[in-house]
Parts: sequence; C-alpha cells; structure tokens
Amino acid sequence: MALTLMKGSEAIAEAAIRAGARFFFGYPITPQTEIPEYMSARMPEVGGCFLQAESEVAAINMVYGAAGTGARVITSSSSPGVSLKQEGISYCAGAQLPCVILNVMRGGPGLGNIQASQGDYMQGVKGGGNGDYHLLTYAPSSVQEAIDIMMFAFEKAEKYRMPVLFLADGIIAQMMEPVEMPEMVDYKVDPEKKPWACTGWKPGDDPAKRGVINSIYIDTESLSIHNEHLQAIYAEARANEQMWENYKTEDAEYIITAFGTVARIAKTAIDELREQGVKVGLFRPISVWPYPYDAMRETICREQVKGVLDVEVNEGQMLEDVKLGLEGAKPIRFFGHYGSEFPTTDEIKNEILKMKEGK
Amino acid sequence: MKKVYVLIGNYGSGKSELALNFAFKAAERGERTELLDLDMVNTYFRLTERGNMTRMKEIRLVSPNFANSGIETLSLPAEVASAFAMDWDTVIFDVGGDSTGATALGRYHQDFMELEPGALEVLNVVNIRRPLAGTVEKIMHLQEEMEIHSRLKITGMINNTNLAEMTGPDELRDGYEIIREVSERTGVPVKYTAGRTALLEQFLAEGHDPKYIGQPLPIDIYMRRDWNSWINSLAEKRPQQLEYL
Repeated sequence: MALTLMKGSEAIAEAAIRAGARFFFGYPITPQTEIPEYMSARMPEVGGCFLQAESEVAAINMVYGAAGTGARVITSSSSPGVSLKQEGISYCAGAQLPCVILNVMRGGPGLGNIQASQGDYMQGVKGGGNGDYHLLTYAPSSVQEAIDIMMFAFEKAEKYRMPVLFLADGIIAQMMEPVEMPEMVDYKVDPEKKPWACTGWKPGDDPAKRGVINSIYIDTESLSIHNEHLQAIYAEARANEQMWENYKTEDAEYIITAFGTVARIAKTAIDELREQGVKVGLFRPISVWPYPYDAMRETICREQVKGVLDVEVNEGQMLEDVKLGLEGAKPIRFFGHYGSEFPTTDEIKNEILKMKEGK
Repeated sequence: MKKVYVLIGNYGSGKSELALNFAFKAAERGERTELLDLDMVNTYFRLTERGNMTRMKEIRLVSPNFANSGIETLSLPAEVASAFAMDWDTVIFDVGGDSTGATALGRYHQDFMELEPGALEVLNVVNIRRPLAGTVEKIMHLQEEMEIHSRLKITGMINNTNLAEMTGPDELRDGYEIIREVSERTGVPVKYTAGRTALLEQFLAEGHDPKYIGQPLPIDIYMRRDWNSWINSLAEKRPQQLEYL
C-alpha cells in the first residue's frame, strides 16, 4: 500500500474511524483541534456522529452515554481540557465503559501554553479522577505507532471494559510523517459479545438481561465487591498488556528511559554517542499503564549497565516509575525541562558524557 | 522590477520550506528580500521558528507571532504593508494551508492588484502524497477554493511531491503525472518542480515533458523535524538537572 504524508491529528482521527469509532464528542483546544475538525468532516461520510459539545465536561458525559450502548466512542482534548474531563473519566472507569480518550499534551500547569509537553503523565497513569481505577494508557512515539495502537485500542478497551487513554505530546499530533493506513474494520455492536450494553429493553423482556450502566454502589459491601472485581481486571491487564521498546540496549553501559517524542530525540543522541564509542541504549515504555517494570528491570539490571538517564519534558513524572521498577539497583539521573521546552540531542549527549565522567 | 511570490496550497504541501528556499536563493543573488509569514492557522512548525536563519541572511521577516512566544493575536501585522510600500527586489508570502489559510490574502487584494503587470506569481504548492491533494479532482477543488478565498488567480503550480525523510524517486514522478492532468484541464502552468538535488536530478534524467516540469528547483531542507532542531532556539537557555541515586 502506498504511503501518504499525514499529520498526526488527521492520522489518529482516521485510524479511530477505521477501527470502528462512530461517535466523536469533543471541544476544540490547541494543539488537537485538527482532530475534531477532521472528525466533523469524516464522521458523516461513514454514517457516524460528530458532536461539538458545549464543554469538555459535557463531551466526556456524552462518551459515557454512547459507550453504554456498546458503540465505539472517542473523545479528544488537550491538557486543561482533559483535566475538566477527569470526573467523567472516573465515572467511565467505575461503570466499566470501553472508550478511547485522547490527550494531546500541552504545557501546564493551568492554561500553560499551546506548545507540546509531557506534563500529564501522572494525571494519566496515577489516576486524575477519584477512586481506585486505572486506564490502559499508551504513549506513542510516532504517527505510525499512534495509528497502530488505535487499531487495537477499542478491542483492548472492550476486552477489559476499561477506558483507553492516549498520552501523546503535542508534537505527535502536529508533525507530519509518512504512514500506511490500515483497512477499515467492520464493527457492529453485538449484544451477545456485549451483554452489558444498553441496546434496548421493553416490558416482557427478561429482566436479568437488562443492561445497567452505573458507577454507584450505595452499600459498603457491594462497593467493596465491585472494587475487588475492578482490581482483578487491572491485575489481568497488568499481566498481559505491557508494551515497550528496547533500542540498542544489548551491550549498553548507559540506558536512557524516555517516552513519546523525547525517546526519538534520545535515539538520535544514542546514534551519535555510539559513533564516539559510548555504548548507550534506550528503554521506552509504550504502555505507560501498565508500566513494563519487569521488562525494564531485565534491560537495565545487567552487569555492564553503569547508570540510567531518565529524560522527560516535565519535572520527572515517569522517573517515579523508573525508580519503583529498579528499586535502587542502578544509579538514576534525571534530565528534563518544564512546560513545553523539549531537550535537544546535544543536551542528552552531554548528560550521558557527564555520567561517564562521573560528574 | 519587484517580484512578488505568493505560496499557497494544501496543509503540509511544503509551503514554508519552499518559501525559505525562494528567500535564501534570492538573498544569495544579492536581492533585497522580504519574507512574510501569513500563517494564521497553525502555530506549530512555522517559518517564524527559523527567524534566526533569515536574519543571518539579511532577509527581512514579517511574522504574526507575538513576542516569539507561539501565541498569536490573530490579527495581521501592520508591517505587511511594507511588502507593497517598500522597494524590494523579491517579496515572498508564505500563507496558511488550504482556503482557510488563503483567506488572509484577501485583505491585501487592492495592494496585489496595484502591482505592476507580471510582478505577481501566485503559486499553488502541490504534494500529491497528502490525502486531500491526492487526485486531480481534489487538487482542482482545492485550487478553486483557494482562489475564491484569497481573491487571487493562481498563476502556476509547483510539483513538491514528497514524503519528508522517506521521499523516493516515485514521488516527483507520480506528482508529475497528476499535476500534468490538472494543468491540461485547468490551463494553469507548472512553473517549478522542487526536490532535494539528487532526487530532482534523477527525475529530470527520466525525460519527462519539460512543459509540465517548469523550472527545476533544487531545495535544501531548513524545516527539518528531527526533534532536536525545531525548538533549538530555547536550547542554550538553561541546562537544568537533578541527580538522584
């Protein structure tokens, strides 16, 4: 199939449609407005529904309603907008509604700015809303990877009855890259496969088969049982859904940990350092919840590895997971910028060279 | 005579890259050059990020950017008037994508009309690897929309078909075939074919009809997106690190 040059936002939106999404609810905010813009033109072509909600809060509650019917539903926003959605996301998690939420991260806190950032890692993977819940969270590092993840995102969401979160920095949505777009998936709501979905009930139907979408469990015991059930699902997702990439780690003496666009800058730095004879590699989590702790330990806890450099565009939010996973086994150094300032290849190289010199 | 080039086209067709190439080539010829960033649509990956480069080459850059901050006031800068009022050899307008971006030009309709005959070139930058410019019909539709919104007649096309870093010999060739048909059907001539030198030479050696190639335009890549250059302006500001053990 021929490659096309696509902008991240357009590619993510088109991939969602090809994966069967037929409902989009959202509200414009830079740097992801191209996603609703694309959806507004594309959804009617495939018999879907694009709706610009009155706010992000409304949009996520529309997701809640539409996902309750078993349809494939998606919403997108950027950092401050995703903050607004947190209550609804927690409700979706509580009611076990499969859906896809896109966060195209921009600089924060507050209104911050409209340039790219990675500042919502904690919000995404440690739970931005209330209660004990998790989202299957992916951090794509290229436009093609974002497409590929989208093509299985709904299936995963449905398998575990969990919302899926895309944690993409603004660059992923704004850059253009050559991509191959997969074929359209033929998705129809199958009440047999989704017995929980509210697909219509009339008097005389079996009351036991009535779908109820709900996140309230008034008495102590039933809420406890519900949470135990959720935790069992999260344990299964933790066991089965970890994704990561190792780049030139086989003989590496220094390992960089990074996600999203920063990992690409790290790869350039690694290639250039290797030309100078410095053995560096990259461990990149693709699923950031569940975080691939075991794979990271396997990559890093080897004799020849002297140290770890974690690089992010935030104050070290993923660093906590790196430290949790390594449990003090190797020295860890952090290099990052705040807001929306991306590190350069040279900055990363300098950090590794300083580590090498013991500075 | 002052020459005014207006680059319009589909989002991602490569307008900013070509605008920089036009400007640098003009400056190298010793021409007094002004480059105007009229992209009011998108705030990422714009020509304005290359402000330092243009200053080094003594090109005057007019930008809608507020305090180099990535923020725009969504108003056209008053300095745009200098393109018409001042005595330049070459003026290049880099415009936002699609008809939406081309709308910004409508404001200067009177100024454009008052230019000397033959001074104005309105060039549609075409990259057929973009999904909304992939067929003859799509290109013709875009062209028509952009003409309405910009209140300008397109005087030529540029074949700038590319897949960024993955551009191969097929790109210009496939672009040539489709753009030729657009040219035959609309009467709009192909004025340039642009590409990195090696690929362009390979394409030219294939012996296509020069009428649908126009002037070969070897380009250098200034807008490269390798995630270490696009935000380089901030790089030297403050190295900051924390150490954990």
